[in-house]
Amino acid sequence: MLHIVDDEAVVRDALSWLASSRGIPATAYEGGNRFLDFVETGSFDQAGDCVLLDVRMPDINGIAVFDQLALRGLTERLPVIFLTGHGDVPMAVDTLKRGAFDFFEKPFNDNQLMDRVQEGLARSREASTKAAIHARLATLSQREREVLDLILAGKMNKVVADELGISMRTVEVHRAHIFDKMQVKTAVELAGLLK
Amino acid sequence: MSNSAPIFSRTLPNPVRWLLPIVIVLLFMAILIWLPWQARQMESNERQEQLIADTLWVEQSIRFQLGRHEESLRGLANEIANGHLTPEQLHQRMERLLRNGLELKRVMLVDPDGKVEASSEPSPPARAALGAASLEALDHARRSHNPIYAQPEAQSQNPAGTPGVLMMDLHFPVYKGDTWLGNLVASYQLSTILDEMVPWWFAQDNQITLLDRDDKMVASRSAAGPGHGVYTHKRGLDLPGVSLTLMTDSVKSEPQLLPNLLVGSVIALSLALLWSLLALWGHISRRLAAEGALRQQMSFRTAMENSLVTGLRARDLEGRISYVNPAFCQMVGFTAEELVGRSPPMPYWAPEVMAEYQHRLAGVLAGSHVPQFETIFQRKDGTRIPVLIFEAPLVDNEGRHTGYMGSILDITDRKRIEELNREHQEKLQASSRLATMGEIASMLAHELNQPLAAISSYTTGALNLMKRADSSGAALDCATLRPALEQASTQAQRAGQIIRSVHEFVKKREAERQDVGLQTMLDSINALIELQTRQLYVQMVVAIPADLPRVRADRMLIEQVLLNLTRNAIEAMANVPAGRRVLRIEALYDSAAGQVAVSVIDRGHGIPQEVAERLFSPFFSTKAEGMGMGLNICRTAIEFHGGTLTHRDNPPHGTIFTFTLPASGT
Repeated sequence: MLHIVDDEAVVRDALSWLASSRGIPATAYEGGNRFLDFVETGSFDQAGDCVLLDVRMPDINGIAVFDQLALRGLTERLPVIFLTGHGDVPMAVDTLKRGAFDFFEKPFNDNQLMDRVQEGLARSREASTKAAIHARLATLSQREREVLDLILAGKMNKVVADELGISMRTVEVHRAHIFDKMQVKTAVELAGLLK
Repeated sequence: MSNSAPIFSRTLPNPVRWLLPIVIVLLFMAILIWLPWQARQMESNERQEQLIADTLWVEQSIRFQLGRHEESLRGLANEIANGHLTPEQLHQRMERLLRNGLELKRVMLVDPDGKVEASSEPSPPARAALGAASLEALDHARRSHNPIYAQPEAQSQNPAGTPGVLMMDLHFPVYKGDTWLGNLVASYQLSTILDEMVPWWFAQDNQITLLDRDDKMVASRSAAGPGHGVYTHKRGLDLPGVSLTLMTDSVKSEPQLLPNLLVGSVIALSLALLWSLLALWGHISRRLAAEGALRQQMSFRTAMENSLVTGLRARDLEGRISYVNPAFCQMVGFTAEELVGRSPPMPYWAPEVMAEYQHRLAGVLAGSHVPQFETIFQRKDGTRIPVLIFEAPLVDNEGRHTGYMGSILDITDRKRIEELNREHQEKLQASSRLATMGEIASMLAHELNQPLAAISSYTTGALNLMKRADSSGAALDCATLRPALEQASTQAQRAGQIIRSVHEFVKKREAERQDVGLQTMLDSINALIELQTRQLYVQMVVAIPADLPRVRADRMLIEQVLLNLTRNAIEAMANVPAGRRVLRIEALYDSAAGQVAVSVIDRGHGIPQEVAERLFSPFFSTKAEGMGMGLNICRTAIEFHGGTLTHRDNPPHGTIFTFTLPASGT
């Protein structure tokens, strides 16, 4: 999902039209606060998100919005592409250093912008997958993490039991729980997930 | 002022130095006093000796005369004794004796009985009436057979003599064999002795007195004269039987201590000498005091000069340096020895302003000097220092003009501050201009960016759809494209509206036009222009006719234009010789066109042809830090007023920018 944040209705409309012409679903927000409201709901797209953020907006400027995202650690999950007017370039470069995905100076080459949007979406998707795996890992108990580490090291259940000083049976139960929690069926699949 | 003490001690009179002249003067005075006294003493002695000699001579003369009379009497006595003489003859002989010596008053022959046998007198008395002293002498003479003088006594009974006159008798015994025949008695009148026997020349100057043995005056011959008792001499006149004393008393007075003009003038001269010495002493003392004061003033002045941070330099009428103070030496980095006595060109003259120095020096040599000016000096190490010089004529104690004394201020700091101020001002101006310009530009950009970006996005999107339809081979539904293209068209119109609104904005500024004098506008930016002219030593000449009409203009804009044009002109002259750096601002009224033409004229590097072609185009600048907006904005501003901004060459060097503005009321 492409999030277009601009105070200008025409720009919002034009960019939405441009995105749809490239098959990218887009939502438009008429101000920074509206977008931050959406961020609060946390209903991010599994297929990835990307933000086109206008620097100059009357309610809250783009830099401040970006700072809010950075504060929440969402700049990976929500790559931000700044749209700047004349003279805002140094400011935009500064945000780039602080983690913005890219910036485009108006007037921009529209299809180049869309290319970068798609790259941003891909990165967001990747980040969302990583976040999901990390969320599953977080559900594991301490003992299950120890077992997981040894399984990933390619050790047999018996060796694991010996090293941890527990019974083979207990290892098997932990293993089943790990596979269940990580939503995998085989050790190979698990290793691929945590690569 | 502690250093003044030794100077004062040196002015004190040295006692030893004064002792010698004082001793000499005292000796001189003592000798001057002693010499007249000594001269008087010598004169006195001389006179005394003269008196003694004369007295001796007189005594001898008297003695001789008396002796002659004695001889005559002896002859007479012999003849009497021989009995040759008749009484008649005897009488004649006696009369002759009297005639020969007036001092002899009577001669008579007294026989042993005291009878007068013969006498010089015509009718002698029968008996000689002799005084006691005479009788004593008679007896004495008879017994001794020798002539004896009797003591002088008054012989009133002597008819020949004046009554009461002292007479002295000489008794000459006459013997015939052993028979005493009597005595020849010759009576001398003592006063007549003096009258007759003392020469007139002696008597004139001296009082002569005869004293008896009791120092009683027996005869005297007076002389008139101022002095008595000063020079006296006594000489014994011993005659047989009587001892008289001849006393002479010079009538000359004591010699005067200051007898003549010579001594007087010597004294007067010595007094004058003394006075002049005292006067000299006083003068020297005053001089020493003045010298001390002068020396103190000198040291005071020297300390003052050395403590000054202002450089001092004196030069004579030929421009030669006659004095520099340490501050000046420090300022230019040359020592006083290197500078004093130098003739122009000076080592501290900077080559680039040499013409200016020479010009000023020529003025000084011609006798007209500039009391205050700014220039640049070159230090020994080659660095330049801006200086401010005040010069005043140097006049010596006779009132002659001998040169100039200049005080030199190093105004590097002041210049730097001015420079900083100017830069600050310029930055302020530039930033305010940029702020305004930037704001308008940014606003325009933002305003135009939106519709342009939208148009771009709509058309790109439309193209994307057409490309996809092409590649898939499916037919493209016009309905899908329509809204996008409609939007694009709307946005294009919106962009046009923005441009129109800018024109409207510019038009609004017309309302701010007012009637304003060119001079008023120049005055308000004069400080800013001067800052630049001073920094680059540019001379500014403003030639605006007094009757120039006002112009109808946006004051701020025209001031900006003037500032831009003058700054360009000044900067164009940065690298030309200082003498050429003249900025002229001229104004003319063209009554036919109802326009005022203002020209900003420089004598700088001029504008090459290739630059001139692009002069007014935006973003063109010959300056490294230039934005290329200056002249472009200027022309736009002038054109808004309905005027023109043109430029042409100013032969042989430089450029003239001229803009026209409508005169007010037209």
